[in-house]
Amino acid sequence: MSEQDDNAFEVRSRALFQDSVEGLDMRIRSRLTQARSAALEAAATRRPWALGWKLWTPAAGVTAAAILGLALWMGSPPHHQAGTVADAQSNFEDLDLLASSDEGSGDALDMLQDDIDFYDFADKSANPGPAA
Amino acid sequence: MARFGTLNTAWMVWDSPAPAPEGAAVLEYTQELEKFLAEIERRAFRMAQVALRDADDALDVVQDAMLKLTRNYASRPSAEWRPLFYRILENGIRDLQRRRTVRKRVMTWLPGPKEDPDSEAQDPLENVADAAPAIPERLMQGQAMEQLERSLRALPARQREAFMLRNFEGMDVAETASAMACSEGSVKTHYSRAVHALRAQLGEVW
Repeated sequence: MSEQDDNAFEVRSRALFQDSVEGLDMRIRSRLTQARSAALEAAATRRPWALGWKLWTPAAGVTAAAILGLALWMGSPPHHQAGTVADAQSNFEDLDLLASSDEGSGDALDMLQDDIDFYDFADKSANPGPAA
Repeated sequence: MARFGTLNTAWMVWDSPAPAPEGAAVLEYTQELEKFLAEIERRAFRMAQVALRDADDALDVVQDAMLKLTRNYASRPSAEWRPLFYRILENGIRDLQRRRTVRKRVMTWLPGPKEDPDSEAQDPLENVADAAPAIPERLMQGQAMEQLERSLRALPARQREAFMLRNFEGMDVAETASAMACSEGSVKTHYSRAVHALRAQLGEVW
């Protein structure tokens, strides 16, 4: 098989193939046209989104990281602040109790003063001194 | 014209002061792509049909290749479209052939009539006589092409691919190597072996 024969074979096979391409029926041609239109339509509808995706992904990542960092930073202080407020509330309540002037608490010192003789008696009874 | 080959170049465009209008770029891509696909689609279909022996399957893989090209590689320089398209097409053909092989193996284990869906004898259209009177020369050409197709299908996939891309599609060695994802030397080897195998099968009378 010579190179010349190979060339002739190549030329003939190419011509046959081209004939078969030209002889495609209308059904196939129509379906190819539809396929092409569908592909182009898909590309046209997708490309702006894809481009936006490419461009905005880094920005979106940075934003998400910033939001996460902010959330973590803000996550702890609110609890701390809540505790502080609760403590402050408790302190205020204690102060209110101390400062309140309702009946029982206001008379406590008076009561202690009135019964001083009783406490003195009780103390002597518990600790009797040496007989004089 | 601004093109976005990679994310890095996209950032370069992002930083550029006056990017091309998106609408105009899309229109330009679309027009170029349509021209390219219209020019290539029939040959691609015939090549897929030669490999798959089925028009509907061939249409499916061609459409799939079109979609993948337009979706994923439209932003590449138009000179790269053809090898990319044929690489996608050949991958689609190979995937379909693999699925057929698996299906055939499964079918042999199942009870019932064992049919070979790929058998040429199973295609009823091939056995139907053409009602229109055929011109003898045309008929001979058709028969010669059928013989060539049968011989091409008998070749190893890489040889068939190299032959069709080089001979039918008219690609040069570098383009074919890009489409086949191999070296130029491999393309030459595959092509040379394909030509000799085909000539041996078809004989001197073909």
